[in-house]
Amino acid sequence: MGWLSELGRRLTFFLRRGRFHRELDDEMRTHVELKTQNHLQHGLPPDAARYAARREFGNPVLLREQSIDFWAYRWIEQFGADLRVGLRMLVKNPGFATVAVLTLALGIGANSVIFSVVSTMLLRKPPVRDPDRLMMLFSRNIGAAGTSDEANRSPVSPPDFLDWRAQTTAFEAIAGASSFENDTHVTLSGGSEPERVPGGEVSANYFEVLGISPLLGRAFLPGEDQAGHNRVMLLRADLWKRSFGADPRVLGRAVKVNGDAYTVIGVMPDTFRQLWIFPEQLWIPLAFTPAQMSPAARAERSLSVFGRLRPGVSEVQARSELETIARRIAAGNPETNKDWGGNVLTLQEYAIQESNAGPALAFLMAAVGFVLLIACANLANLLLARNANRQREFAIRAALGAGRFRVARQLLSECLLLALLGGGLGLLFATWGVHLLHGLFNWNEWSLLISEQLSIDRNVLLFTLAVSVATAMIFGLAPAFQISRRDPNSALKEGSRSSTASREHHRLQNLLVAGQLALSLILLVGAGLFAKGFVDEMHSKPGMNPHKVLTASVSLTGAVYQDPAQQVAFFQNVLRRLGNSPEAESAALASDLPFTFPGRAYFLIEGRPAPQPNSKDWRLSWAGCFAISPGYFHTTQIPLRAGREFTSADDASSSPVVIVNEAFAQKFFSEGALGRYISVSPERGPSAGSPESTKPVWREIVGVVGNVNEYVGQSTWRPHVFVPMLQQPDGSMNLVVRLRADPAAFAASVRRAVWSVDKDQPVTNFRTMDRVLLDSSQGDNVMAELMGAFAVIALVMAAVGIYGLIAYLVGRRTHELGVRMALGARRREVLLLVLRSSMPMLLAGVGVGFLISLAMPHLVTASFQDFHVHSGWILVGTPVTVLLVALASCYFPARRASRVEPTVALRCE
Amino acid sequence: MAKPGEFSKTEIPPGTLYMLILKTLEGGPRHGYGIAQRIHQLSHDVLRVEEGSLYPALQRMLIKGWVVAEWRTSETNRRARFYRLTPLGRKQLGAEVSEFDRVMQAIVRVLETA
Repeated sequence: MGWLSELGRRLTFFLRRGRFHRELDDEMRTHVELKTQNHLQHGLPPDAARYAARREFGNPVLLREQSIDFWAYRWIEQFGADLRVGLRMLVKNPGFATVAVLTLALGIGANSVIFSVVSTMLLRKPPVRDPDRLMMLFSRNIGAAGTSDEANRSPVSPPDFLDWRAQTTAFEAIAGASSFENDTHVTLSGGSEPERVPGGEVSANYFEVLGISPLLGRAFLPGEDQAGHNRVMLLRADLWKRSFGADPRVLGRAVKVNGDAYTVIGVMPDTFRQLWIFPEQLWIPLAFTPAQMSPAARAERSLSVFGRLRPGVSEVQARSELETIARRIAAGNPETNKDWGGNVLTLQEYAIQESNAGPALAFLMAAVGFVLLIACANLANLLLARNANRQREFAIRAALGAGRFRVARQLLSECLLLALLGGGLGLLFATWGVHLLHGLFNWNEWSLLISEQLSIDRNVLLFTLAVSVATAMIFGLAPAFQISRRDPNSALKEGSRSSTASREHHRLQNLLVAGQLALSLILLVGAGLFAKGFVDEMHSKPGMNPHKVLTASVSLTGAVYQDPAQQVAFFQNVLRRLGNSPEAESAALASDLPFTFPGRAYFLIEGRPAPQPNSKDWRLSWAGCFAISPGYFHTTQIPLRAGREFTSADDASSSPVVIVNEAFAQKFFSEGALGRYISVSPERGPSAGSPESTKPVWREIVGVVGNVNEYVGQSTWRPHVFVPMLQQPDGSMNLVVRLRADPAAFAASVRRAVWSVDKDQPVTNFRTMDRVLLDSSQGDNVMAELMGAFAVIALVMAAVGIYGLIAYLVGRRTHELGVRMALGARRREVLLLVLRSSMPMLLAGVGVGFLISLAMPHLVTASFQDFHVHSGWILVGTPVTVLLVALASCYFPARRASRVEPTVALRCE
Repeated sequence: MAKPGEFSKTEIPPGTLYMLILKTLEGGPRHGYGIAQRIHQLSHDVLRVEEGSLYPALQRMLIKGWVVAEWRTSETNRRARFYRLTPLGRKQLGAEVSEFDRVMQAIVRVLETA
């Protein structure tokens, strides 16, 4: 209680301090007057009486402050006064204030922007009830453990999920959802237009576990996740608004999802969008088929599982319980579950691991940190220069009794004021920067979700405030320390003439500039590596011609298309229509596009023994599998190395054929692949059963084609097999059209061609092939662009800093240089003199930066998989560039100094 | 030239200022100058407080609740702030005096026997 009432007293006093001061002053004045009268009565002359009375009384200002100390916090008042003085100083030096605040705003703003990404991806709590108790449950592949985090968060198979649910005591409830990693788009018709939206199948208690209540209608009821009761669906609010015009009568409406009719029973809030790991816009119940619950289905791990911890149970306890349950299941089902354990993570931990953004964000935060440090160094130098002109002011303050600490504190308060102004403006810059990022984050679906969530949130505001204060301490400390160490006596004397300022002073400034140079050099090398890596990736041979190609996706829905013959007929019709249009050079279909991850197929080679399941050979017997139409290689311009392409004669009635890529041929048929036979069993959905159980269909290898990567920058070629679409139909295909002109303009024609065959089929995901390539680079271009932008800002700031310092130093030496010139020094000599004096600083900075930057390639390759870059010329070229920029920054002020008339210089004081 | 107050100036023992102020107020309310004069007189000019230092001390005593202050007109027809002892201040005076006595007696004993 004591300190609280004291705090109250001190604060109320602070508000009424005016009256207190007046009364105390009155009282003290009365005292001195009475004393003076007393002395007068004792016969002293008036002046002496007044003087004596004052002397005996002591220093009224000091006494007043001591009195106030009992009542209030003197520092509040002093801080207020310091800020007022600081503000006056800034208003009187608008040039200095503008430069300082702008520099800081740039530095702090860049930090806030990047931190907003960190906050969005790593810091935000999921928008669910009591998020710390909501866990995700995973299978843990012990065999592969240690190799990657991913093995520790594998999806869960339906039978395992059901067993976990029955046996767990650590969780109040657990719920399953069809895995995020699978492509769970569903086609929605019954709205205004058929549409593909991301959707999910979830257990009936899913929303209860997450703790989210419907906006409208109801969530799933227990039992609705049983087959036969499961034709109900929930919409997310934004889909409801977009496709149903936010009509509340949507409840009870029948909507077709993947061709089946479902009844809308509720609308869930938008809060889901706040976490990018929840892309779903609609949900249907997760009902297992008998096949999914069979013992063999334990190997089909596809579910995401969520659980809410029982009160009092810790994450660690839950993890060990799940591990025990998983071990028990593994003991009973060694074929499917040997070496499979369980793992528990919070939703946030999962998001952090899954985004895999740690290294990129660490690099970006380091980059903006460097930018801010460089800004701080500039500010510190500006302040040092300005303080040199304020020596007299500080000397007078010291002479009047201000302690060193007091003077330093005043300076720091001014810095704090600057930093807060800079931080405020920086936030403004940051909102603009976040706006820019919205446009940059578009390389895949989850980057779009992140972009949607990107904003200046509370975390960013707090971070900005903290950074501003820290910044003030960093750039203000050195100047404040320096000024408070000066001897006021000598400062008062020196202030009048400053032809040679103290040595130490300039050593500090030179050190700061050298540091700036080193930092910007390191940053430039880093940015250069990312940029070079990206350019190398894009220019590495794609194995095909991606220009002037348009792609789009079609997923057939509706009962008619359950029949493979109908699928084939539909796509052939579309192809014919596209081929007839004059803009198109050729058109083809493929189940997967180049530069995307293709579906996997298990293959056997005729004449070689089938490998044991889960053995090393078995794991090698998987290849990327593409179902393609005739003319695919012609359209994509993937070169045919041997044999022939598929023709329309390779249909269901003719003998089975297959084409492999060079990687496949070299890996498995060193003696030549043509004419050999393999069987291909694509992995299709959880109900397909084990691929090796079906009887092999031997396909003759009729062609070998060139390699194409699965993503930009992939370091090794993966084996691929291509089967004719006519022999292995698929309801979900990509159109690939090579055009004579601008591919983007052709989208409308593609849509027309599809809808003229069947108007209920949605065409989505229009992208040019160039764009597909860019998207598969996983945002490497964004990384390169951001790093590059920050590095350029850093270099410009450093150059401005050098320019400013040299201009200032030369300005201080004008008199000296004038003397030299009057004594016969030539301009060139003066120029060289100035340049030479700055050389040690420049060389030291660039040298240190160079040495540190040598470690950058290692750091980058250690942090990013698949990042290979030949960095030779970057490591050499960047320091040279930085040195040239630095020299140029020195040259201009030096030249100006050498052009001053000696007579003018001599008069300059 | 010697000025009044420059000679025979004896600093009061540390910690006794509060006690002295409380004692002078025992006889009735006084203003700051009055307190200084009173200490001066009663000690026959031996004890001199640095007069200004009375005021921080008085502020502290106000906070402690040992004295209360009010503005009044003095005998010389001036407005001045008069300080008055509170019951709490009286108790404090008693405590400080007996503590001071104890310490003084101890010092005297040491001086006499050593």
